[in-house]
Parts: sequence; structure tokens; C-alpha cells
Amino acid sequence: MNTHFRTALDAMLLGAISLLGAMVALPAHALQMTDDRGVVVTFAQPPQRIVSLLPSLTETVCELGQCQRLVGVDRYSNFPASVRALPQMGGGLDPSIEAIVALKPDVVLMATSARASERLQALGIKVVALEPKTHADVRRVLEKVGQLLGVDDAQRVWRVIDAGVMAAAQSVPAAARGKRVYFEVNSAPYAAGEASFIGETLSRLGARNIVPASLGPFPQLNPEYVVRANPDLIMVGDSNYIGLEQRPGWSGMRALRERRLCVFTNEESDMLVRPGPRMAEGARIMARCLADKAAARAAGGAP
Amino acid sequence: MNSIAVHADSVRASLGNVEILHGISLSIQAGRWTSIVGPNGAGKSTLLKVLAGLLPHTGTVTLLGQPMASLPGRLRAQRMAWLGQNESSADDLTVFDVAMLGRLPHQPWLAAPSTADHVAVEQALKATQAWDWRARSLGQLSGGERQRVLLARALAVQAQVLLMDEPLANLDPPHQADWLDIVRALVDKGTTVVSVLHEVTMALQADAVVVMAGGQVQHHGPSHHPDTHSAVEQVFDERISIHSVDDQWVVLPRLRMHGSAVATVSFL
Amino acid sequence: MNHPRVNFLGLGLLILAVVLTLLGASVGSTGFDNLLRAADDPVALQIVWDIRLPRTLGAWLAGALLGLAGAVAQGLFRNPLADPFLLGSASGASLGVALSLVLFGVSPFATQWLTRLGLTGGAFAGAVLGVLLTLLLAKGVQHTLRLLLAGVIVGVVLGAAKELIMLARPDFLQSMQAFMLGSTGYVGWNACLIMLLAWLVCMAAAWALSPVLDGLALGEATAASLGLPLARLRAALVAVLALATGTAVAQTGLIAFVGLAAPHLVRSVVKTSHGRLIVLSSLMGGALLMAADILARWVLAPLELPVGILTAVLGGSYLLWLMHRRVTAGGML
Repeated sequence: MNTHFRTALDAMLLGAISLLGAMVALPAHALQMTDDRGVVVTFAQPPQRIVSLLPSLTETVCELGQCQRLVGVDRYSNFPASVRALPQMGGGLDPSIEAIVALKPDVVLMATSARASERLQALGIKVVALEPKTHADVRRVLEKVGQLLGVDDAQRVWRVIDAGVMAAAQSVPAAARGKRVYFEVNSAPYAAGEASFIGETLSRLGARNIVPASLGPFPQLNPEYVVRANPDLIMVGDSNYIGLEQRPGWSGMRALRERRLCVFTNEESDMLVRPGPRMAEGARIMARCLADKAAARAAGGAP
Repeated sequence: MNSIAVHADSVRASLGNVEILHGISLSIQAGRWTSIVGPNGAGKSTLLKVLAGLLPHTGTVTLLGQPMASLPGRLRAQRMAWLGQNESSADDLTVFDVAMLGRLPHQPWLAAPSTADHVAVEQALKATQAWDWRARSLGQLSGGERQRVLLARALAVQAQVLLMDEPLANLDPPHQADWLDIVRALVDKGTTVVSVLHEVTMALQADAVVVMAGGQVQHHGPSHHPDTHSAVEQVFDERISIHSVDDQWVVLPRLRMHGSAVATVSFL
Repeated sequence: MNHPRVNFLGLGLLILAVVLTLLGASVGSTGFDNLLRAADDPVALQIVWDIRLPRTLGAWLAGALLGLAGAVAQGLFRNPLADPFLLGSASGASLGVALSLVLFGVSPFATQWLTRLGLTGGAFAGAVLGVLLTLLLAKGVQHTLRLLLAGVIVGVVLGAAKELIMLARPDFLQSMQAFMLGSTGYVGWNACLIMLLAWLVCMAAAWALSPVLDGLALGEATAASLGLPLARLRAALVAVLALATGTAVAQTGLIAFVGLAAPHLVRSVVKTSHGRLIVLSSLMGGALLMAADILARWVLAPLELPVGILTAVLGGSYLLWLMHRRVTAGGML
């Protein structure tokens, strides 16, 4: 080959590579994503100043290693401990618009059910609405947030979480499988049914829920229903535990007589209830409860 | 017969921050009918309420010789009955039940009505011609009928002293005449009656008249006396004149204008 | 007089109560078969005896307390729109429940006391304190208007305090909402006994004080002229109101409309003096709440509707129909 032809070939190759490089490089800067409302939000570059108004989204951001990008959170976000030092914007459903605007965020993460999104968008602030409710949602939100932050760790994080849940499921002894569980969310009484996030975790752990999916995720039950169903195990949050054993007819329930009752602290309840990255720990807590209390031997005085 | 039924000594009374009665001393004779007259805002109703012991006041009021302050409420209620301007909301009670409420001062607490109670109520309702509809509820009656029932309630107390504030409200002429008969009969039996009336002609039917203006008593004398008449005319700015018709005193309005102006006024 | 009609209504309401009790024992998350199986199946027996029967009777007792309190309130304030929650008892009870929920678990001392008192104790204490605060603000019972105003102020202020607590602890939001809308869900035999005692005391006291209410209907000045010691008797009536309302609210939460509607429903049938009105209002309130409670458990079984919604629907619909009938008959409203 003569040198002219070689130079031309090099030039074309260089040109092609630059073109390819440009095509690969551009998307990293111009980001387009669709949130749970179906709204398409565009970013010239990954957002650096983030306000999160939903605890599970806060935890997701931190789990992806981008905690430092958070400039503000809602008052209910409490994990990890570092976010408690951040300025609080109010509740997730009633945030202080002014406080958010004052922080000049690049994006606000919030639940789809919040009204503030329109107001914020009208003020020129980008809003990404994501609301995880199921196990599958947690994965999807992880990937979306990862995409938003320009971080491609999401798949790995999910695999760790999923493995954690499966490990928790395997740690449940055979004797505790198939046990019928009543999970009380609060003393109205509202129960967590099969169709809820907690219900899903329970199902994966091999337990059965006395509240079938047909009753909805969080039905307000007639207390008589629980007595009739006679669950093998009762799970309840510490703050809602008051008066549970004095309810008429309940003291005769097998679960209460044999002390097959798990009372979770507020920190534990947070992990159980939030569809977020700590769901594996939540599953472990529930699995431990199942292993301790649901096993066939009656608890003769054991806590 | 010339004893004092109710006596007030240097009485002052206020409503809110405004003083209405500016130091009134007054003696109401027993067994007589005394009428209190005066222009609007003179304090007539306030004075009557003070005499009934229903308003806080400075100074003393004596009832039948005893200071009211030291008289137990029940005894006072047995000796003095009061009929106020209509403030009742007792629409659901029957006429009979309303009249029977007048016997409360005489009944032991929660006791069933005695025979004496029934007799008193029947007399009172018959006197005001309300006996025939004693089973109707108060809410079904007209204004005048209501007033007669409330009067019967006051009569049923059978007290020695009866104070009445505008008792003729809503009453038509025949029943106003009936009221006069009732009062006369009560006085003949020895009851002391004190009334506040803005119908001055009716008021002049009383034995004695108390003329009030600006929170003070301007005159207190027999109703037939010329001094009393001039005091009454004076206190109404000479807009009335008192004339004798058929041995009774009648009050006529004194028009300012005469002659052609009268024709214009009547056209209006 | 109207006595035959009065007796007729009273008897009718008592019979209705008995019928509803039987119905109430049969209705729940699992239907009539529980009643039939009660003889053989111990769980079914437990459900009927330990849960359904006390709930149903408890509904009657709570409704009876509220109906009584409503009649007393309307007589005391001479206002047909008065309801038993006027003197700050409702907001006091809500605040009491909120504080009980929040303080539970805060310290062992608090936990021990709160386990003993329970939410019902907290609600009762709150209701009584709310009324006392109103009396303090109004400087006594002498001026009805001042009492009403003080009640409204206390209601607003204590309500705001409760909202602040809810804001700080949103995990209690649904428990509070359940309390605010009322439920007979946790009424057992103990609760029935407490309500029965309170009802007997309040009924006796209200009956004894009813002549005052009749006298007051003639006007305050007239009542005073009849020698009635108004201040003392009014204070006693407020105490009856506080006890009846506090007890009902503590056991079943805030059930709206029963106290307001029961006297009106009675008056639409029969016109009578306050003594009998209070008794009939009580019976009417009991029947109303019982019926609402049965519907609340039946309509969406095994889910449960808040009973306060049903009392409003039942009581309100009847009153609306009544108004409509009166208007079309050409009478005055």
C-alpha cells in the first residue's frame, strides 16, 4: 500500500472512531427519563443537588453511594444517620415549596401521590416522581435512580438485596413454613394483607397471610376476623402494641396464649414497611421472628 | 293595710359598664296596684328586675319587711312572683305543664303535683281563659294566647307580691280588659301588684303611679292626683295630655301641628 | 296529656333494642352460622359471647349515653343545634388519645401507667380535662354564651395541639382516624359494665335535674324568679354532660351526630317535658347507634366501616326526610 492511501485510511478510521465516540459520549450528558407519572424529564448532565421527599428514595440514593448529593430531605427520612443533619423540607405530602426552591436543587424526588409536583414544575424545578410499592418496584426504582444519577451500580446493588432476601427465606426453618401470620399495621385495626409490600416479603419467606389479596393491601378489619382466623403468629409495631392483649376475645387466641407474638421497634418497623434498599434487612428481621416464634414447640416462658 | 310590701333604698344598678339606676329609694304599698311609667330607656324594666331580686345592685331591697339578700331563694319565690317579657323557648310544653311550673316554689324537689297545686293551676288558667286548651303545646298558640298562659303561670304561684313587666304584650282589647279584672280581683284579696306598662292609659287605672325618667324616680303618687298627671305629661315631653272620660283617665297624644297642617298629616 | 304516646315510643324503642341485639349477635365477619354453631364450636361461642354480644350491647350503651348527653346539652343551652361535644370534651379526648399513643413506650413508668389506663383511660381523662378547661375559661356556668364560646375556643386549641402531635408522629395517623370516626371494635364486657354504671348515674341525675331545664325553657330570669338555684344546678348538669360524654367517647371514640339527632328524632314523634325527653333520647340514641354498628359490620364484611359515617347517614337521612315532609306540607320549618 502506498502512504497516501494509508493516511486516508487512518483519517477515515480516526473520523469513524471519533463519530462513534461522540455517539457514545453524548447520551452520558443529555439524559432523558420517564418517571412513574409517565412524564419525560430531560437533564443536560446528571443532577448534583438532589432533594428527596420520600424515605425509600432517600435510602435508594444513599445505597447507590450518592448520599453526598442530597441537599434536603423530608422530615420522615431518617436513614442513614447522616441525612438527619440535612435541612428538612416538611412532610412528603405537604413540603415547604419555598424551602425547596431556596436550596436550588437540580431535581426533586418525590412520591407520585404528592400535589406539590405541579407547583414545583411551574417554578422551573425538575421533578422525578417515583413510588415503589412492590418488590419489583424496588428494583425498577433502583435502576431509574441509578440512571438519573449516572451511576451504573444499580444492578449489582439489586443482586445483593435480592440475595439477602433469598438468604433470609432459606434461614426460615421448615417447621415455620406455611405458618399463618397476622401483621398489624396500627390499632384501628389495619392489617397488612397479601397484596401489600409487607405481605409480599412474608410470602417470599414462606409464610401465609390471614388477609388474602382480595381484601386489598391495607384493609381495616373487624377484630372478630382475626379471632376467627386464629393466626399462628402475630406481628405488630411497638407503638401500636398498646391494649392489644386486652381486646375482648383476643386473650384466648392461640398466638397470644403461647406468646407467639413479635413486637417490632420503630427502627425495625421502618425497615419492614419501606419498599426500599433495606428490604433485605426487613426480611431478615421477619425471618428471625418466624424462626423464633413460629416453630412448632410452644414457647414455655421464652421471650 | 298601709304596710310596705317592697322597699328599695338607694339602689344603683348597671348593665355592663353603663349605670342605669342612679340611686333610687322607693316604697311600694301592700295590697295596692302600683304602675311604673316613663319613656323608653328610663330604667323601668331594670327597676322591676331589681325589685324582683334578679339583677345585681348596690343598696338594699326589702320584701315584706325582710331584706332580700338574707331571704332564701325558695321563700322569696313563694312570696313574690315575676312575669317578664317573653323570653321562653318552651314550645314543646303543654299549657298545663307551663302553668304548673309556677308551682315549683311550693313543691318539694321532684314531688308530684299535690291537690293544692292542681287547684291553683286550674284557677289560674280559668282566670286567663286558657283552661279549655290546657292540652295544647305552647308552640301551637298565637302571641296573645301565649301571653295569657305565661300570665297564668305567674298567677299560679299565688304569691303575695306580683311583679309584671309589659304584661299586655300581644293582648287584644278584650283580654286587656280581662287582665284589668284579674288585677283588681287580686288587689281586693290583698295581693300587691307592681306593673311596668308603656300603655299609659292602662297604667293610670292603677292605685299609685311611679313616674321614672333617666334612671331616677321623678314622682310617686296616687293615680288620680293632678300632680301625678302633670309629672306624667312632663316626663313625656308634653307630647301627651291626660283627660277624664266617664270617670276614667285617658291619655291622648298632643299633636304639634294644627289647622291646614293637620290635613297634610292625615293624608300621609 | 301526651303520656300515652310517650309510653308507646319508649316501649317501641326498647323492643327495637332487643331485636337489634339479636341481630347484632348474628352479624360479623363470619355471618349467621356462628350463632348456630355456637353450641358445638368453642371458637364460634367465644366470638358470639366475648366479642359480638358485648359490642352490640356496648353500642346501645354508648348511644344511650350520647343521646342523654345531647338532650341535656340542648336543654342547657336552649339551642336545638347543641351537641354533647360542645364543651371541649371531644377535642380533649382526642388529645388524650394522641398523648397516650405517643407516650407509650417512651419510659417504663409511662408504659406501666398507660397499660393500666389504656387508651380509654387517656380518652376519658382528656374529655374531663377539656370540660374543666372550658369551665375555667368561662369562669363558671353562669353565662351560657360565654360557656359556648369558651367551649369552641378550647376545642380549637386542643385540636391544634393534637394536629401538631400527629404531624410529628404520622405513624399514628390511622389509629387516630379510627378513633375520630368511632368504633365499637374493642368493647368488651368490662367496658359494658363501666358504661352501664355511668348511664345509671347520669340518667338518675338528669331526671332529678330536669325541672331546671323546664324552668330554663321559660327564660333565665323567670327560672331565677321561681327560686331555682341556677348556678349549682347548671354546674351539676355540666358534670352529667361531661361524665356521659367522656365515658362514651373513651370506649367508642368520637361518634358524631347521635347526640345531636336523637333528641330531634324523639321530638319529631312526641312533644314532652325535659325529663321524659331525656329518657326517650337516651333510648333513641341507643337504638340508632346499635343499628349503625350492625350495618358497619355487615355491609362490607369482613371489612369494617367507621360507625360514625353510618350514624350520620342514618340520622341525617331521616332528618332530611322529615324536613322535606314539613316543607311540602306547607308548614314552617
